[in-house]
Amino acid sequence: MYDALGGGVPMRVNVGLVAGLAALLLMARPVVAHHSFAAEYDANKPVTLKGTVSKVEWMNPHARFYVDVKDEKGTVTNWNLELASPNVLVRNGWTRNALKVGDEVTVEGSRAKDGSNMANARVVKLADGRRVFAGSSGGDAPAPAQK
Amino acid sequence: MVRVARVAAILVVVLATSMLAAQQTPPAATSPAGSGGLNRGPATPSGPAPRLPNGHVDLSGVWQGGGPVGNIADGLAKGEALPIRPEYQKIMDSRDAKDDPEANCLPTGVPRRDPYPWRILQTPALTFMLFEGNIHSYRQIFMDGRKHPADLDPTWYGHSVGQWEGDTLVVDSVGFNDKFWFDFRGTPHTEKLHTIERYTRTNMGTLVIETTIDDLGAYTKPFRVSFTARLRPGEELMEYICNENNGFVHHITGSAKEF
Repeated sequence: MYDALGGGVPMRVNVGLVAGLAALLLMARPVVAHHSFAAEYDANKPVTLKGTVSKVEWMNPHARFYVDVKDEKGTVTNWNLELASPNVLVRNGWTRNALKVGDEVTVEGSRAKDGSNMANARVVKLADGRRVFAGSSGGDAPAPAQK
Repeated sequence: MVRVARVAAILVVVLATSMLAAQQTPPAATSPAGSGGLNRGPATPSGPAPRLPNGHVDLSGVWQGGGPVGNIADGLAKGEALPIRPEYQKIMDSRDAKDDPEANCLPTGVPRRDPYPWRILQTPALTFMLFEGNIHSYRQIFMDGRKHPADLDPTWYGHSVGQWEGDTLVVDSVGFNDKFWFDFRGTPHTEKLHTIERYTRTNMGTLVIETTIDDLGAYTKPFRVSFTARLRPGEELMEYICNENNGFVHHITGSAKEF
């Protein structure tokens, strides 16, 4: 497969290039499982949410979890966060127990275009500090280790 | 430094493969986009395609890709454009992504694929394609020499008959409805659609699928698209019931053009 790229993989690359490539990757058009990503989410509206998992839906076509986020005034807003399908997550080592109600998480994602409190989760920082890709817009998710 | 180099190498590969995927390549083993989570596991095998006792190439296996997902025009030869009639271009341009039948858990039709694995199952009289993704459905291809019936009721997968031309399985299908889209982009067709798919397992791990789209209702002439499916050794189909919890499709607000 890599041969098709027409050359070997450079093994000495500076940090700036790495950062640049990472930025490019984040800008790349993501493809979600069964519907258009760009028509639902705005990759230019990144959102970071820190809060408590209130509900997990390990269901098709997308697994979802909900997070209660408290603002500085103490007002709690419940966010709806989309992941890949359970099959995609499982094939990458996730389990249905990777996220549990009550977990403190930080989620990086892209907001829904319709302005609702909904986002496509790209990276989830778990309570123990591990950052895992959410397997949705990023495509494939390294697994969170078993709890 | 070694670690940075390793991260960089991974990024380069991922980026390059995603760019390849964005051009012509179908969802491949290392594509970060829509791979159905199959980026792990054994590499795509090479070596000669296996054969059945009757001498025909054995197409059996779990495959990934092999048809349009985002845009069917990605499968055209370089420099070609869809010969779409202006009135159907208008229909295409007016489509909203939320109305994509696939996003609403309806079948992909032909030749579209979704980013989930699918299996070919060959028997002497029938070939089946079993799809994990939308919508956990199947196609059946009659291999017993029958012809298409006259006056078919239009359906999502149509009526398919197959025959071998050398090592290529040629599947001829008619009787389609006009409901499915060819891709996220909303590329349309009519009930006049007639497809001729040519399945060639060029090696153990590679299945080239060339499809002639013959629909003089929406297009001024037949055209051909080519996509490649990759074998996923050791993979099994998993359950995927799309309609289980698809209540959020109304949040899709964009045009299909934005796919």
